[in-house]
Amino acid sequence: MSSLIGFLSLVFAIGINLYLLISKYLFKIKNKRFKLFVRLSSLLTLLSFFSLMCAYVVSDFSNYNVFQNSHSNKPMIYKISGTWGNHEGSMLLWLSILSIYSFFFSFIKNIEDNFQRLTLNIQAFLHILFGLFIVLTSNPFLVNSLFVEEGLGLNPILQDPGLAVHPPILYAGYVGYSIVFSIAIAGLFHNKDDEWLYIAKRWSLISWTFLTGGIALGSYWAYYELGWGGWWFWDPVENISLMPWIAGLALVHSLMMVRGEQALKRWIIFLSILCFSLSVFGTFLVRSGILTSVHSFAADASRGLFILLIFFIVTGFGFLVFLLKEPKKSNPLNLLFINKVSALVINNILMVIATLTILLGTIYPIIIEVLNNKRISVGGPYFNSTVIPIMIPGFLLMSIAPVLSWQTNKIKDSKKYALGFIILSVAVLIQSYFLDFNTWGFVGLLLGFWIITASTIAILSSYKIKFSIKFFQIINPHIAHIGVGLAIIGITCSSVFKNELDFNLNEGDEFNVIGKKVLFEKIETTNEINFQALRGKFLFDIEKNRLNQIEAGKNYYPVSKMITSEAGILHQWNRDIYFILGDQKDNEWFVKVLINPFVSFIWLGVLIMVVSGLIGVTRR
Amino acid sequence: MSLRLQRLLLILLTLVIIFSAVLLILYNTRENVSFFYTPSEINKSDMASDKIIRIGGFVENNSFNKISSSLFKFRITDDKTSILVTYNGILPDLFREGQGAVIEGFFEDNNIFKATEVFAKHDENYVPAAIKEDLKDTGYWNKKYK
Repeated sequence: MSSLIGFLSLVFAIGINLYLLISKYLFKIKNKRFKLFVRLSSLLTLLSFFSLMCAYVVSDFSNYNVFQNSHSNKPMIYKISGTWGNHEGSMLLWLSILSIYSFFFSFIKNIEDNFQRLTLNIQAFLHILFGLFIVLTSNPFLVNSLFVEEGLGLNPILQDPGLAVHPPILYAGYVGYSIVFSIAIAGLFHNKDDEWLYIAKRWSLISWTFLTGGIALGSYWAYYELGWGGWWFWDPVENISLMPWIAGLALVHSLMMVRGEQALKRWIIFLSILCFSLSVFGTFLVRSGILTSVHSFAADASRGLFILLIFFIVTGFGFLVFLLKEPKKSNPLNLLFINKVSALVINNILMVIATLTILLGTIYPIIIEVLNNKRISVGGPYFNSTVIPIMIPGFLLMSIAPVLSWQTNKIKDSKKYALGFIILSVAVLIQSYFLDFNTWGFVGLLLGFWIITASTIAILSSYKIKFSIKFFQIINPHIAHIGVGLAIIGITCSSVFKNELDFNLNEGDEFNVIGKKVLFEKIETTNEINFQALRGKFLFDIEKNRLNQIEAGKNYYPVSKMITSEAGILHQWNRDIYFILGDQKDNEWFVKVLINPFVSFIWLGVLIMVVSGLIGVTRR
Repeated sequence: MSLRLQRLLLILLTLVIIFSAVLLILYNTRENVSFFYTPSEINKSDMASDKIIRIGGFVENNSFNKISSSLFKFRITDDKTSILVTYNGILPDLFREGQGAVIEGFFEDNNIFKATEVFAKHDENYVPAAIKEDLKDTGYWNKKYK
């Protein structure tokens, strides 16, 4: 029943959007009614999504999608998250978020009616494209032709609270660029004033904040769930999320800087189109199954072709309008050697090139296979040694850009900064003498600390410290950059200075980790609701009385006959100690211990960026 | 500064950055790209060099041998040729005989492949795309594979 409601409302919503799109050309409808229809279509799409969720919650196996991806003895949270834990449901989620954005956009006041309607019309166009995609190739409301009592179950690796919220947040980021895209295109047609830039700023910041949060959640999930001890693998799907993120970062910065320069406006429109194109392209790569990765659901060629078609329509349409619409007046960029605008321009160039480098590395294997019929894989080392060197000058610029002046060549308090940099370099050099010297480690630490120091100097010397919301809004760019600095320190330490120890142990053995005694207490098996758990129990630092118990092991899911690893992580502020329980031979167990220094700084840094993104949204 | 000079400067700068990016990419694709083979595609010259490559195939039935809690031997096959692999570490959760796996590593002496990394995809029905076509050709294709 709920499936029928879901399908009908989905189709009906597409119909309304078709009506909205046609109304632009054939007949006039009143503004009020237009908005009403936009909201109605959003609500119908949401109704469709919630009917699917409802089918999952009550385990309605007459729905083929539920039958394929759910099981009645799953905990409730995973029944709900199962809604988007599969291709069809996740595409419906995509469409729902698209219509939520239209819904909220229709409520914006202080905006010219024609402009708002044009934006919503473009949204309606996108809604139709993706709606047809769902109905024609990935319908989540198909009826199960067999009568069954039980479903096939959700992939156990997806049964995790972190992963339950990761896709909606990530999608909120991806799809948010649809509204930025629509605003930019509408801005091109409606070239009267620059009001649209301020609107685009807020929405692009919202998308970027969601995207940051979504990527970080996925990364954190990979860190503790996949049991490899790393948090970033340059997996194609990770790269795909990183591309719109970097392009979106360039977009947010350009929008902050723009003061009516025509060249910059064109660039902003270009970036807006690029961001959404990259989002759609990413969806195509993942869903088509061209790239195999952790995230690919069942691949189907027709789906891939359809999304490729959507990609060409969106990108082609976007860039065509971009090329055809001439700018009206020219207000040139003021590119003196050292000022805010030139720092921004250089940073933007760097970011776009970094994006293209990632894109190239991600699709390079496909190109080679087509041309050469040879299969290759491009691994992490490629990305590490191309993307990072490209980004480093950008990071350096970033540390001083916020205090550069708009017009002149002067930097305020330049002596302070020079002194700060010299002291810092010496300090890091001395410190790296005591640790093992490592060039990347040195560069990374220096950069991270320097960004934090420069931002702090800037805050202290330029503003009066007050604890009010307004103050935080003003120093917000510096806060965001401090977050980046922290993340750089975390990333550098956890990748350059990590340590890996292997042990072969019997129950009751004691062993040493970073000078602390650890006891391998025992192995325990327990039965949980939908899995059996095997846990190795460790006591960390048994000589001191601060006992920390760590559990590392595996879960066995009988429904899908799968095993997942559950790493045991002891979080300390300056390092994570990461236990992985390996295989067993007779009574001996293999245990791997990873020491990841300063991982917490990455999450803290990202959290600061997200918070600062939220503060930025509130600022006009 | 005149507008033209600015534009020239901007273009020059962009070209310099793009040029260095291209250099980086070219250098790194030569160094950091590993070729992907099925067991029967591997030839003598690959076995002779200690280049890092990836091999995709199935773990041969009854070939898995646990030497200690962290040292494993098994064979990777595509039903034409099979290759003996040793691996020291923790195998992925989905690693099983008869299932698809991708291994990365290099050939040691005696034509034994020393795996530095083993990937088993997070789908029990996963088959490496590379050997999917070969399997279809030989009629070994099992419908349940995706």
